[in-house]
Amino acid sequence: MKSKSLLLVAVDFMIMFAGLAIIMLNQYPVIDWSPVPWALAAALMGLAVQLFLLQKKYTSDIWIFPMVLFFSSLGIIMLARLKPVLCIPQLRWLMIGMLVMVGVLYFSRQLKNMLQYQYILGICTLVVLCLSLIFGVEIGGSKNWLVLGPISVQPSEFGKILLVLFLAAFLSDHGEMLKASKRKILFLDLPPIRFIAPLLVIWGIAILMFVVQRDLGSALLFFCMAVFMTYMGTGSKSYVFIALLFFTLGAAISYGFFSHVQVRFNIWLDPWADPDGQAYQVVQSLFAFAAGGVWGTGFTHGHPGFIPEVHTDFIFSAVAEGIGTAGLHGHYDGIRAAVLSWYYDCHELQKRAA
Amino acid sequence: MGHNDIKKYILHCSVFMLVCFLCLFGYIVYLQVIAAPSLAANPMNRRGDGAQDIVRGAILDINGKELAKSDKPGDRSYPYGEVMAPVTGYIGEAIGNDGIEAVAGGDLTGQSRQLQMLGPIGQALQSDQGNNVRLTVDADIQELAYNALGNHRGAVLVMNAETGGIIAMVSKPSIDPIDVEANWKSLTAREDSPLLNRATQGLYPPGSTIKVLIADAALDEKVTDVNEKFNCTGRLDIGSEYIGESHGAVHGNNLTLKDALTESCNVTFAALAMRMHGKGLESAFDRFGFTVPINSEFNESKCHLPNFSALGDGDTAQVGIGQGETLVTPLRMAMLASAYVNQGTIMVPYLVEEVISPVGLVIRKASPSKWMEVTSDKRANIIGGFMENVVANGTGEAAAVPGIRVIGKTGTAENSQGADHGWFIGAAELPKGKIAFCIIVENSGGGGTVAAPIARQIITALRDN
Repeated sequence: MKSKSLLLVAVDFMIMFAGLAIIMLNQYPVIDWSPVPWALAAALMGLAVQLFLLQKKYTSDIWIFPMVLFFSSLGIIMLARLKPVLCIPQLRWLMIGMLVMVGVLYFSRQLKNMLQYQYILGICTLVVLCLSLIFGVEIGGSKNWLVLGPISVQPSEFGKILLVLFLAAFLSDHGEMLKASKRKILFLDLPPIRFIAPLLVIWGIAILMFVVQRDLGSALLFFCMAVFMTYMGTGSKSYVFIALLFFTLGAAISYGFFSHVQVRFNIWLDPWADPDGQAYQVVQSLFAFAAGGVWGTGFTHGHPGFIPEVHTDFIFSAVAEGIGTAGLHGHYDGIRAAVLSWYYDCHELQKRAA
Repeated sequence: MGHNDIKKYILHCSVFMLVCFLCLFGYIVYLQVIAAPSLAANPMNRRGDGAQDIVRGAILDINGKELAKSDKPGDRSYPYGEVMAPVTGYIGEAIGNDGIEAVAGGDLTGQSRQLQMLGPIGQALQSDQGNNVRLTVDADIQELAYNALGNHRGAVLVMNAETGGIIAMVSKPSIDPIDVEANWKSLTAREDSPLLNRATQGLYPPGSTIKVLIADAALDEKVTDVNEKFNCTGRLDIGSEYIGESHGAVHGNNLTLKDALTESCNVTFAALAMRMHGKGLESAFDRFGFTVPINSEFNESKCHLPNFSALGDGDTAQVGIGQGETLVTPLRMAMLASAYVNQGTIMVPYLVEEVISPVGLVIRKASPSKWMEVTSDKRANIIGGFMENVVANGTGEAAAVPGIRVIGKTGTAENSQGADHGWFIGAAELPKGKIAFCIIVENSGGGGTVAAPIARQIITALRDN
């Protein structure tokens, strides 16, 4: 098992090196070698991290990391193809990410203790989200960026982690209580409002904040995360029902109030209504999918550059053009494997807890 | 309890997510497999022109003469210039391509469908030289027809009646494809529309050429037979309107359908149209495919037909002599004529005979296919016989070529743009095969004097080469 997981890490980086090699051969005779040392460093670090995981001192899961590396490698070569200047920063962030991961594992016991202060976590979530409201800069119609000198970050990315931690702590403490004290209201089983009030408050404010910042994509993501976690913690379909109700209401209200929500919704409904104007990006992305076909045009071939901002918003279309349905199938297999392995992890954890 | 329950709920969520992925994947399969061909053909998709580093293939005529060629990427020349422009079309980076340059754009840049099916492996086989495209067009005939039109505006379409292959497609005035993009604004503003391919997009009243169809329809609807004797007094009164003969002719009272077609008798055909009423006329135009798009290599205009059932008697009579609201394209009239030498069958017209790889391998070859059976073999012989008489003894005598069976029908179309347009449609049985043609000369007066002689020149040239 040990050698197999190492092999998987090696395969991930082989994908990355093969991709980078293709790009460099295409540059011949003027080859830009600059990403090579970074890529080598990342690969060595990846192997080291996997060896660290294999000690099983801090975690029993040795498969998630190679899978994540698989997606990271794909991301790096796609970025190297579409927006070469971002390739090295991406590699740098990958290494920082690996360091942080090791750090989190190493200090996991201390971090677990922090979970006792769940309401502080909740407040931290809100503070982080508020940061961009107060100091945020508007990029692309949404005011969700913080610019700190040379680097710019979206605080919501960290807010996500905090929210997950808060929900996990809250639900593991109060899950049983939420389940036990149900009351029938119409056809819904609900606990007394004071039990779920903290949940609703954090949840509601988080989403409200996104709506104010017009970052509706993140709002949706937060919302789904919260609903999923609540369901997993309590198994109550009533929460899901109420959440869907809220969602419909929220969607209707934002459609009424925000013109860019209207635009996005209309584009989603029928991109062919305005293929030359507002739906240009979407329509060009559909063309990219079509050009990919079953087998793809081949990496570095095709014309993903016809899609504006392809390297951020529409990178998946570029992947689809390059590797086609067959390749995407492999890509999805990776995701499915990750989901299954995550389920397996939960299973293991419970066995040990029981 | 708790832990087992949580396990169950987590499983629910995992299954839900996997189902979501499945939906997403289903849509991707739809996009990349089922919808891909139509998305690839969408005019907004610039991928076909994206191959800037490829030497575009040549467009060749049936005998291998170059109609368009490139020596290096981005370069293009058209040896026949404006003569072949309606066939070759043009390349426009900002305005889009037209003609064969557009229709066969993927082949000319070497992005063949087969290669695309191979995916990444195809990239290895992708040559930096596009494929050559050999057309059914004969450059000599095209040139002859272009010159024969003289200073007139008009169109000539010649096709192989048995295969549907287009031998010549002339439209005048025309413009050298090399000049199109640079002068786009002034060209589109020009009153004589040099960018309009009159052979497939020009809409004209058919005039007397439509009598061929009316005669066929009248026999089909059984409103007459080949023996009925018509009486032409030179004038047919319909309420307060009337239909007259051209040049005040009177065709007498001993006129069979054959004679009426030979003499192009307006009174007889107006009467036949009124006997069939809107319904009979509508089904006749449907039967000959005037309402059905060809859906092939042509950018054709849709023929304009009146709402037959809503027409009064006077307008119905006008349909019978090809005046009024009916507007047709020369391509459709040539196809109509082709049925009468091809057992009542019209073939799908096409231009691309072969796609040839840079090393000379034939990648794709046209397979002629039947478009529609518009009339029976028997009736095709009867009407074909009438049309033969038009050329032998009637208004189309100027198209006669000794030793060759030529059938035809002249037409004179009154129009709002001045003098009448002269039409001649017909077909000829040459030793090498059967051809059908349609010639329209704008503002030239009667079709028998200007258009029919052009047909004779074409038939003679095709016989001799």
